[in-house]
Amino acid sequence: MLAQERRRRLLGAMADAAIEHVVLYGNAWQGDYLRYATDFGILEGHGLALVSSDGTTELFLDSATEAERAESEAPENKIYVAADIARAVAARLDRVANHRLAAAPRRFLPTWLADNARGFVLEDATALLDRLLLHKLPAEIAALRRAAQMADDAFAVFREAVRPGRRQYEIVADIEAYLRRRGCPDNFMIIGSGGTDVLGMTPPSERRVVRGDLVTTELTPAVDGYFAQICRTLVVGRATAAQRRAFDVFREALAAGIAAVRPGATAAGVARAENDVFRKYGLGDYTTSKWTRVRGHGLGLFCDSKPHLLEDVNTPLTPGMALIVHPNTYHPDVGYIVLGDAVVVTQEGADVLCRTPRELFEVAA
Amino acid sequence: MRRGLISRSKAELPDAVLEARIARLRAAMGAAGLDKLIVYTNNTRPAGVSWLTGFVPYWSEALLVVPMDDAPVLVAALSHRVKGWIEATSRIGEVIHSPRIGFAAAGLIAASKADAAVGIADLEGLPAGISDDLREGGPRLILSDATALFAPLRGTADSTEIALATKAAAIAQRALAQGSSRASLGEIIAAIEAQTRGEGAEEIYVAAAPDLKRDRRLRRIEGEAALGDTFAVRATVAYKGTWIRVLRTLTRDGSVIPEEAARARLATAVAKLPSEDDFAGFSSWLVEGCRIAQPLEPLIGSRVGTLHPLAPGALVSVQASLEVDGAPLLIGAPALIGKDGEAASLLVQPF
Repeated sequence: MLAQERRRRLLGAMADAAIEHVVLYGNAWQGDYLRYATDFGILEGHGLALVSSDGTTELFLDSATEAERAESEAPENKIYVAADIARAVAARLDRVANHRLAAAPRRFLPTWLADNARGFVLEDATALLDRLLLHKLPAEIAALRRAAQMADDAFAVFREAVRPGRRQYEIVADIEAYLRRRGCPDNFMIIGSGGTDVLGMTPPSERRVVRGDLVTTELTPAVDGYFAQICRTLVVGRATAAQRRAFDVFREALAAGIAAVRPGATAAGVARAENDVFRKYGLGDYTTSKWTRVRGHGLGLFCDSKPHLLEDVNTPLTPGMALIVHPNTYHPDVGYIVLGDAVVVTQEGADVLCRTPRELFEVAA
Repeated sequence: MRRGLISRSKAELPDAVLEARIARLRAAMGAAGLDKLIVYTNNTRPAGVSWLTGFVPYWSEALLVVPMDDAPVLVAALSHRVKGWIEATSRIGEVIHSPRIGFAAAGLIAASKADAAVGIADLEGLPAGISDDLREGGPRLILSDATALFAPLRGTADSTEIALATKAAAIAQRALAQGSSRASLGEIIAAIEAQTRGEGAEEIYVAAAPDLKRDRRLRRIEGEAALGDTFAVRATVAYKGTWIRVLRTLTRDGSVIPEEAARARLATAVAKLPSEDDFAGFSSWLVEGCRIAQPLEPLIGSRVGTLHPLAPGALVSVQASLEVDGAPLLIGAPALIGKDGEAASLLVQPF
């Protein structure tokens, strides 16, 4: 099983680093470290897992509702519910204070637990966990492939759901219902609609789709906890010549970015390849943080994993890493456009997981 | 990590209500000698800042800085590009964007008074990286835990919050009413999801116990799950920052189950809260509510004991497992803890 493979790998990494106990923090937003060890997809409150070198994992949750769910969904862990999980874990750590202890991600630990006044020392194991999260096992890649298929299928539903007069949140409701029907419990999705007034994507609003809108979405379903993303743009009605010209820049940038994905390249190199296309067309300003956040990012148990694809992030790419390459940004002629595919880094380069054509789709007006 | 419609309705969450909440907070701050108060927010701890401003983060994190004499400032890790969205969905004096929200918030406060007295709601639970940045950004600031100041204010519902909870519960009721007429659990969950989001809910978490005779525990369904003759479905719904749970038991063939009897027992037990006496006959039970920022924090229950005493006027959600005529039933609904001599009561019926 995937969860057991991950656990073995974590225990191996702990042994290599001579760490005897590691504390992992998680909540619904930043749940990847916790899920890696416990296979529990936390939704409410927050949790701390204590993984010991003998293989036992104790999961401390501050929601009794979540604790009941964890007992059913992740029974291999010892589950505790505590109003103050920091103190509950500290009481446990006090008993092994003379051992080598570590925690990740340190910046998210409850302040009280991270305080140097405690009777134990928690080393920072964030980098150790990041390496495990970054370089996927074959079974993790397989889960990402299934998630990418789910993303392709959900985007097909999205194309059907977008019609003039519908509100953004009604469209998103269709997608989420489709994913639940398919047994997919989680998805990260943002949306935009309009023209040059739209600077990015957000959760759905009450805005109604109208003829001529560019409708953008970033759709990120999770399968077995692994998020795969697709980014596409469609036009309500027939695309104008300006919209097509603009979209061609994004298609060229995505192709350039994906072509740059190979072992030995860096996150910066992929971002640079995408941005060079924009610069070639005099659109270099729109690759800056004023207009866009990142040019892609890692995928896995978190939908916005490391590395961020930015020209100053020199993380080397190696086989087994999963990324979304997306040159999403504002185009001054037509507004915000998105286009992105999930890929896996292989010895040969990028293995593209998404199958949806890289088209500027048109839907009936 | 999903969200549905996030929007501000001045009719449902009027400016005057937010102003009144901030005024009550300032009065407490003044009595405590605080210059500023900080409340943290993220995807799973949104209910402190949303109560004061309407702001709900779909992603990332932020700190709300409430001064004694000026409009609140939100220091957000979200990028500048969503400033317009934040301003449109909340009532905040100013939005500042920074990847290091602790550092930026401390700098902002220290710029006006280097040794300001700053209370922080749930300081001990604040992410350690933000605490570090607060200390680095304002080395002379006097930071203190303001949980005891904030929790009694946040934990008592006003009429606006009660109205939002009632609406959220009505949405959940209508969604769960669709449960019996579907062929599979996946169809049921999809119908609940579509109905709830279509009515403008901000979030909907569905959990199910697919076969109550085998296992009463509610879980999130991934993939397929076979339905037993009797099953339970729980809808956790957020509407305009207010969260509730509704839980009911259903049958696959639509046959009658003793829901009325279960409902009566739940209503009787709730009416006695904060006394736990009438829950003695239940297999298990749990009362959850918001104290600081977690929308549905466990307060009291058969498994947890008394973690936090129920405050008069608190808005809570109650879940219970019981047996009626030998049949297992799960039931739950939001409730209001009585104050000024009034008994506690269910806000809506579970069905």
